[in-house]
Amino acid sequence: MSDMNQDREVVPLTTLFPGERAKIVALGHGAGRQRHFRTMGLMEGKIVEIVATQPARGPVVLNVEGTQIAIGRGMARRILIQKI
Amino acid sequence: MKRISLMGCPNVGKSVVFSRLTGVNVISSNYPGTTVDFTKGNTCIRGEKFELIDVPGTYSLEPTSKAEEVAQSMLQEADVVINVADATHLERNLYLTLEILGSKKPTIVALNLWDESKHIGVDIDVAKLEKLLGVTIVPTCAISGEGIKELASELCVARVSKTIEPMSEDERWAKVGEIIGKVQVVHHRHHTIRERIADITVKPITGIPIAIIVILLMFISIIGIGNWIIEHLMDPLFYNYYGPWIIDVVNSFAPEGLLHDILIGQSTGESLDFTQSFGLLTTGLYVPFAMVLPFVITFYFMLSLLEDTGYLPRLAVLVDTGLHKLGLHGSAIVPTILGFGCNVPGALATRVMETKKQQFIAATLMAIAVPCMAQSAMIFGILGREGLKWVLIVYVTLFVVYVLIGLLLKKLVKGESPELLLEVPPYRKPDCRTLLKKTWTKVYGFLAEAVPFVLLGVLVVNLLYISGLIDVLSAVFAPILTTLFGLPEGAIVALIMGFLRKDIAIGILLPLGMTPQQLTISCVILCTYFPCVATFVVLIRELGVMAMLKATGLMIVVTVAVGVALNLILNVI
Repeated sequence: MSDMNQDREVVPLTTLFPGERAKIVALGHGAGRQRHFRTMGLMEGKIVEIVATQPARGPVVLNVEGTQIAIGRGMARRILIQKI
Repeated sequence: MKRISLMGCPNVGKSVVFSRLTGVNVISSNYPGTTVDFTKGNTCIRGEKFELIDVPGTYSLEPTSKAEEVAQSMLQEADVVINVADATHLERNLYLTLEILGSKKPTIVALNLWDESKHIGVDIDVAKLEKLLGVTIVPTCAISGEGIKELASELCVARVSKTIEPMSEDERWAKVGEIIGKVQVVHHRHHTIRERIADITVKPITGIPIAIIVILLMFISIIGIGNWIIEHLMDPLFYNYYGPWIIDVVNSFAPEGLLHDILIGQSTGESLDFTQSFGLLTTGLYVPFAMVLPFVITFYFMLSLLEDTGYLPRLAVLVDTGLHKLGLHGSAIVPTILGFGCNVPGALATRVMETKKQQFIAATLMAIAVPCMAQSAMIFGILGREGLKWVLIVYVTLFVVYVLIGLLLKKLVKGESPELLLEVPPYRKPDCRTLLKKTWTKVYGFLAEAVPFVLLGVLVVNLLYISGLIDVLSAVFAPILTTLFGLPEGAIVALIMGFLRKDIAIGILLPLGMTPQQLTISCVILCTYFPCVATFVVLIRELGVMAMLKATGLMIVVTVAVGVALNLILNVI
């Protein structure tokens, strides 16, 4: 992590609010899940945005380069991001 | 016959390409030894016949799920592969493409949604990509049919890639990055109006009211269209033409006796009764074809419409929060909605659930608390005249049962309840041809699955009556009914009939002269006590005998509990 956003804090994806943008830093999870994420377009270095958050700890809907992905809150918590 | 496998990630328009390439003769089947469904059809290119297989959409071929395992073996069995890739999301589609090319099968890549990629400002250098991948690439727009002819004519000269070798996962991602850097330029991207509208349907504040309206509209139109078909097409057909004809035919060789009763029951030319005569050729055919099929056709059409426009995943996201509390996730909305049409396809659709635990919960909840379309129609018809209040009591009770058992099963059943992970594709205009083909494939599957069981059930009930066994059963179980549920003894016949057809069973309740309270209790326990025989057999196949025994035990416990509780509550208020 030696790029210009070095000073930015690395936080879980769940701390992002709808409309905010962030860069994906780490995917968390095991190798199989990581591959699944990547093939859906969720990759390290991509810019992610929250489209909608379902109430009562429901899933969040992300937008990564035009692909929308719904992901459970627990899974989203293990994905790390830097806000931009 | 040479075999072509059509492969690609989910939501790339693969099924539209498939229906463009195939004729009418399309069937859906099960991959041997698995519960993964796929569709196949025939196609004729330059006079040569090919078998075209629509491989289940997967993001990769690493065998981490059943669908991926099946995709992997279908790749091995193929003579030629068509890889459908999404031009608007080339990067993540290339991973699967590299895996396919690494298998050294003759391949051709269809770069679908090509027009869409132009719209959103994605420029792909096809010539360069062709060189890097070492196979022919045809830009297509399957919805309008653009590029499909070229795709077909290039098929005969599909090549094995000489540039892409089998490689490790990390090497593959590096290669994807390298290729994308060379062939793709993305221009400035705006959030389009269409995307903004799409977002409204997935945000909870606006999305939930829209979802309620969509589901209501769907059911109102299914009931309306289904009834119209029955009234104007099926009933005239059966009562005016088929009925008199079949009675004449049977009477010509068996004017009376056992064979006559088994074939057409008590029907005579003067008093045609298709619902209660219980003949194999009367009730046995009338029920599946005239009473249920019209609803099933409209139901599958509506469902395919929701699926192909891209609304279904959004619905799954909106209901995920609630369903997750019951040990399920959003995808369970599909078997549930299907169950409201007919429990048989609902039971089949529980395959979409990821784990055994989730499949068991989804199937059990559906079998206990989701009344099928035919049953709902009867509940409205009979209880409706006593006042809407009673109909409401039935559905509210069923809903409460659904939630309570879900909460209970989440705790009791061992196994995992993974969270939702689902791509939400952009809204797309559905392709009429694909829509009709899909509807037909599902309807055909339903008929093949359900009709034999209805016939078998009619035969069993018929034999029960003829042998007099039904009187014995009534005498044994009637005391339970009267003491526990406060129902008249005659209701036992309805419960026995309910194994076969729940709607007919409710019809039997009518002449018993019951109070609204008794009718309400009967309708609820008819729904919960046991699924109809067709659903039961499908569930045994899907869940296994042991799991089904557990589910059956639960059904009996629930029915007794709910019946007793309702009997107490309804007689107080």
